[in-house]
Amino acid sequence: MIITWPHMGSLEIIMSSVFEELQIDYMLPPPNSQRTLELGVRYGPEFACFPLKTTLGNFIEAIEKGADTLIMVAGKGPCRFGFYAETQRRILKEAGYEFQMIQLEFEPSKIPVLIRNLRFLKQGRSWISVFRAVKFALQKAVLVDRLEQQALRQRWKDARKGATTTALKDCYEKVRNAGDYAGLRRAEEEAFAHLLSVPNKEAEEIKIGIVGEFYLVLEPFFNLTVEEQLGDLGAFVERNIYLTDWLRPSGENPVGGHSDRESEEAAKPFLTHFVGGEGIHSVGNTVIYKRLGFDGVVHLMPFTCMPETIAKSILPKVSREVGIPVISFVIDEMTGKAGVATRLEAFVDLARFRRRAVDRDPSLRPALA
Amino acid sequence: MQVVKSFEGGLNMKVGIPGGLLYFRYGRLWTSFLQALGAEVVESGETTRSILNSGVSKAENESCLPVKVFYGHVMSLKDRVDALFVPRLVSVKKRTHTCPKMLGLPDMARAATEEEIPIIGPTIDFHSGLWSNYRTVYSTGRIFTTNPWRIIGAGIKAWREHRQYLKGLTLGLTPRGTLEVDESRRLCEGRELRVAVIGHHYNVYDTFTTMSLLDRLKGMGVDVITAEMVPERLRNKELKRLPKTIYWSYEQEIAGAILACAKYKLADGIIFMISFPCGPDSIIRVLCEQENKLMGNIPMMTLVMDEHTGEGGFLTRIEAFVDMLRWKKDRVGESEEVMVPA
Repeated sequence: MIITWPHMGSLEIIMSSVFEELQIDYMLPPPNSQRTLELGVRYGPEFACFPLKTTLGNFIEAIEKGADTLIMVAGKGPCRFGFYAETQRRILKEAGYEFQMIQLEFEPSKIPVLIRNLRFLKQGRSWISVFRAVKFALQKAVLVDRLEQQALRQRWKDARKGATTTALKDCYEKVRNAGDYAGLRRAEEEAFAHLLSVPNKEAEEIKIGIVGEFYLVLEPFFNLTVEEQLGDLGAFVERNIYLTDWLRPSGENPVGGHSDRESEEAAKPFLTHFVGGEGIHSVGNTVIYKRLGFDGVVHLMPFTCMPETIAKSILPKVSREVGIPVISFVIDEMTGKAGVATRLEAFVDLARFRRRAVDRDPSLRPALA
Repeated sequence: MQVVKSFEGGLNMKVGIPGGLLYFRYGRLWTSFLQALGAEVVESGETTRSILNSGVSKAENESCLPVKVFYGHVMSLKDRVDALFVPRLVSVKKRTHTCPKMLGLPDMARAATEEEIPIIGPTIDFHSGLWSNYRTVYSTGRIFTTNPWRIIGAGIKAWREHRQYLKGLTLGLTPRGTLEVDESRRLCEGRELRVAVIGHHYNVYDTFTTMSLLDRLKGMGVDVITAEMVPERLRNKELKRLPKTIYWSYEQEIAGAILACAKYKLADGIIFMISFPCGPDSIIRVLCEQENKLMGNIPMMTLVMDEHTGEGGFLTRIEAFVDMLRWKKDRVGESEEVMVPA
């Protein structure tokens, strides 16, 4: 039995750490590529949302390479994400692949099913060892998130473009190789020292926030490395979602900085009800970014994503009333890198001119919301 | 419950009810409730070309067709009324949701009208039990009148009429047929062929975006059954078989109806109406097509509508489908083998 799961940002670090610790066979799907996308689009429903197609592509490629047990999270809506696993199971089965799909559902009413599934996955390892492995993996994940955050915050000052990105890759290796808590602490020190030692230069500060649907924000291949592009254009970047924050059921976001409740509160004047997914947080975080003195917000959404479509219809109003430029990127299999790069460049320029104008003439400064 | 911008409530207020989305199901309920409270109800009526155009130009590109139509209805009403009535239906049944678009509807309407007009947007949510829903309805009533008995009376009257309306739909009347209590508009009268037209009520009953599909089918001598006409017991029975429960309430109806039609051969063919790019339907479609193939494999056609759908292409496909069904039915007696071309 070889276990696999779809790619999503740094998820692989958590999962592979767990399975290595437990010494269970697993396999990463081949890295995301154009082929992943093509496979997903070929088999996926026509206007299903983009992440369904890409994760379907991951599964197909993994099955081709020999995996036979697929892990996917399921839920109860109202977003389509909760139905991914079931839909993908049906599609893959119809396409004639041999596999079994383990749907992990974290609902109170589905706890017995969850326990049965986990027992199946752990293959005779003790519950305590599973618990330990997961705890350790989450520690790693938090570290990875903090490193990513540091990279976002310093990339704009790079003396040589791409230096932070390269350093971050080395840091990932360090974290991945850490075998115990002492090793992890060492890795933390080394990694941060390594990141901070990247030579920097003086630059004009400009701050851009990223909001949007979690898969697209977290998965660099499919968001066309928006974070990196923004950093290279000279923007201090902050994003609203980090993997461990997203996994945390309490809604506290220690890495991201402000809790879900805060962003719901901030969204109140514009969107008063939970709409599934990250819809309300996209709106709320835009307001919060304005309060924190950001110069612009980049909104990422997959094509046909329902919660983000709602956010997108409300964001122009937020932008107008709060006074912060917002650009929405609707990403699907047709999105070209050059188009996104051009728009990002123009957006960063606009935000920069706007800041200069405001600095020169404070009367231009919009009132705080 | 939220009323944007404080405004003077009271009797004789003009309240607009946009004739899109859930209007096709709850319109009767809302109208009679508001009328019984003493408000003057203005409806936007049926979708027209100009309503669609203004909706398309106002709404987000990525929105689905019914939402664009809804925006159009909102736009056509906003200058004629004192307030708009856009309820937020979070859940109409325990452990289910409606589509996320309905969850954000009052807020979207607010963004679209740019707060020029107050929006009455009570939140109905069956996750939180009956009492809070009663309170929501009551506080909606308080906008119009301070007399508690009048509010309760209006609620009961509206509910009765709503039940009557739903019963009409189950018996095979079109929404307008039920409103005018016109028995001659029956969809199902024992013609030679019977086609199930399944989809969201706003996709099936909107005469403009579907280009009067139901009437046209009737003209071709085809009986139509809609999701409402499939007995609820059969629908639920089929849904229980599924390995994962569908958590959208209206999708439950659709999937249940399609599965029941396939299993019990309630119709000669199924037309599944989807509007582009409906989120839940895109997922349900996979499920329905597969299950249909497994069970009975009755002919099923999926029609995807958007604002660019041309009448010619649409009609041709329907005619071809009906011809195919007719051909198939004629051949049944001759030989079983040629029935289903694989």
